[in-house]
Amino acid sequence: MSGEHAGSAAGRGARSPGAGFTLDLHRCVGCGACVLACRIENGRTGTAPWRRVVPVNLVRRLAGPTYFLSVACHHCDKPACLAGCPSRAYEKRADGVVLHHAERCLGCRYCEMACPFGAPQYDRDRGIVSKCTLCAPRLDDGRLPACVTACPTGALQLAPPGRDTGGEALRDVPGFVDPAGCGPSLRFRAPAGARREQLFRALQEAMAR
Amino acid sequence: MLVSLDERDRIVAIEGDPENPATGGRVCLKGLAYAQRQSDPARLLAPLRRRRDGRGFEPVGWDEALEEIARRLVRLRDESGPLAALYYEGSGSHGALGGLAEAFWRQFGGCTRTHGDLCWPAGLEATRLTYGANLHNHPRLTVESRLVVVWGHNPAETNVHQWRLILDAQSRGARLVVIDPRRTDSTDAADLHVQPKPGTDAALALGIARIVVDEGLEDAAMLRAHAHGFAQYRARLADYPVQRVAEITGVGASTVRELALEYGRVKPALLIAGFGLQRHHHAGQAMRAVALLPALTGNVGVPGGGWQYANLASHCLRPLPLPPEPPARRSVPVSRLAASLETLDAPPIRAAWIERANPGSQNPAAPRLRRALEALDLVVVVDQFMTPTAELAHFVLPAKTLFEEEDLVTAYWHPYLQWRARIVEPPGTVRPETEIWRALSQRLGLDTSWFPGDREAFLRGLLPEPSEARLDELKKRPMDLSGLGDVAFADRRFPTPSGKIEFASDQAAERWGVDRIPGYVALGEGSESPLRSRFPLQLLSCKTRERIHSQFGSLAWVRGVERPHALDIHPDDAGPRGVQDGARVAVWNERGRIELRARLTPGIRPGVVHVLEGRCHEGDPDVNALVAEGVTDMNHGATFYECLVEVAPV
Repeated sequence: MSGEHAGSAAGRGARSPGAGFTLDLHRCVGCGACVLACRIENGRTGTAPWRRVVPVNLVRRLAGPTYFLSVACHHCDKPACLAGCPSRAYEKRADGVVLHHAERCLGCRYCEMACPFGAPQYDRDRGIVSKCTLCAPRLDDGRLPACVTACPTGALQLAPPGRDTGGEALRDVPGFVDPAGCGPSLRFRAPAGARREQLFRALQEAMAR
Repeated sequence: MLVSLDERDRIVAIEGDPENPATGGRVCLKGLAYAQRQSDPARLLAPLRRRRDGRGFEPVGWDEALEEIARRLVRLRDESGPLAALYYEGSGSHGALGGLAEAFWRQFGGCTRTHGDLCWPAGLEATRLTYGANLHNHPRLTVESRLVVVWGHNPAETNVHQWRLILDAQSRGARLVVIDPRRTDSTDAADLHVQPKPGTDAALALGIARIVVDEGLEDAAMLRAHAHGFAQYRARLADYPVQRVAEITGVGASTVRELALEYGRVKPALLIAGFGLQRHHHAGQAMRAVALLPALTGNVGVPGGGWQYANLASHCLRPLPLPPEPPARRSVPVSRLAASLETLDAPPIRAAWIERANPGSQNPAAPRLRRALEALDLVVVVDQFMTPTAELAHFVLPAKTLFEEEDLVTAYWHPYLQWRARIVEPPGTVRPETEIWRALSQRLGLDTSWFPGDREAFLRGLLPEPSEARLDELKKRPMDLSGLGDVAFADRRFPTPSGKIEFASDQAAERWGVDRIPGYVALGEGSESPLRSRFPLQLLSCKTRERIHSQFGSLAWVRGVERPHALDIHPDDAGPRGVQDGARVAVWNERGRIELRARLTPGIRPGVVHVLEGRCHEGDPDVNALVAEGVTDMNHGATFYECLVEVAPV
């Protein structure tokens, strides 16, 4: 998505049908508590993490502040993983959660290739793929995902299904693109005014490199 | 924190306690990582003894280990007296029971101990001299601030719970100013980032004060009623015209002015000072200069305002019951441990017992300290993991974790006293330190009744008003038992000698031999030091979110999310030295030399370089090899940030 597009009306998140994450870019300090909480909750302490923190401008170039994108599976409206899976290992639940069923997985890794966000992780040991479940077992239990619970600054939040993300939440920020039209459910909150311009400039610069 | 156990009573996950008003039910990265720390394969589960051939360690039973330690301690006491033994404790995994080691040592006949603190004592004393007590507003009042000034502190990394409240204040319209020579995650969120030369904070504070007074922005009524020595202080401000301040601090005159006018005008304004600006020789006076700004502008005793450095409101426990003090006492400054071990006489130190601490990596002059420890007849280290210090020990005794013994825990930012429940039994043959001391006392034929049989009853007895009900309540939620209220000094009573806020302090002069009025003094190793001709760069070694000093660094989870270890250096400093981004460099001065990779960052102030402290794992460089064993002007602190170095490619 282009720079002039970012933050414009077209980029604003309207009502989204499914549950998903909201990330406040001003509040995220990139501490990695979400990553660690995810690893602990899902028993993935020795394998590739489902969630990761992508720093933008970590060396603190003068043009803009350092930001962090904490990302996992976006539980898309039109999941490319699901569409690309020959063994029907993926399911899109009514509440929007995209689940991967390990018992049906062939380990062909088509989903890994199809997903533009790098969400599915191939586990060499098991020969199959896995990914973020939005902590579906916790959601079903009335609890928040582990990453959201762990976030010490409240930067990472859960927007429940049918949420109105409001006029403030952004669907797109520079550096976060939806090239395959999957409709990721991740929404962003960003500071207002000059700080937002600075942020978007930093993100664009990071993207250009 | 809330702890989840699996069916075999193992700790699998940790979450924040929603009943804790200070954290809002959240935990930091380290809190989460305790789950792994508990069951990490590297955790020590049984005593170890150095092998006779000196190569590594061998397992040894508790009985045999304690028998031999007891025998050697007694022999040493017979030959050299009790003061030949050093007892050194740190703050890792600390609770009220940690102090019970003293019950052994007093009965032993005394020992050599350390005084002061590596962390924050100069700021504590400066605050006490100024306001009479180390108290500040309840953290939740942060959101009522209209201006938050964070000085020498990086809460986005080192107090993420405080950071959440600062961000809340910001979203409610407060402006945020951060003063730090480095660019950090905290400065990146700031509306104004001021980057003074390290060690010049006193000049900056007095420059601000001068402008506030010149513009008539001081709270005259408040000063008339509650200030002591203001006239002398104001006269001293004549020495700090903005041009001079700009020269000393390297902060532009217009920025100093902008900051002063904003701080003078916006109410309420909260000033949060970190420990970073009190890690040099003139730290106490610098902290006094900064701490006076809220008093000058009428921000004391006000919700949303105040001076926030340390809150000791939860430090309300009764003193531990201990045997009488023996006549033989000796104490050395904690920041001069290496020099003390090298030079102490009558008697020289022959043995060291080290608990909850890793001085072999974390103290100034760490390599010298390691050599001095290595030369001792007996070193006992009690720890959960092997550390550079434990590697030098004759005996390494396994320590409990915070989940394995009941205790009471105090805080230094929020006002809550907390009950620490015993959630699991210690694994392997691990026993709590109190049991180690009891067993050792028994072997020496000492009175063991000082060590609690019923820990709960013992801890209840430490509460300010011991009662079953109180303890039951405390087990459910953290409690503020101070009775002080949310706004510190709301009643404008200051427990200083004058009963007022002391702009001039006789006590400062009497106790510490410093000027009654705080002023700027150039550092021996600072921006104005002649030594800069040889070592032109000021080295800071700051804290990081992944560690509490050297703790947590051995954990795979933590290493999985932390940033690579590097020397932060400005391109303007790197260029002339031929230092490339990512290249290996040497950092050295007359005290030591380390090697690591350089990370070029325009965010740091030119002339300043930075290495994260607390890294002592898997060949990490030893930053404290470069640091001098200085002592702060007040209260026996360390001078970690007064350290000139030179850098070159390897």
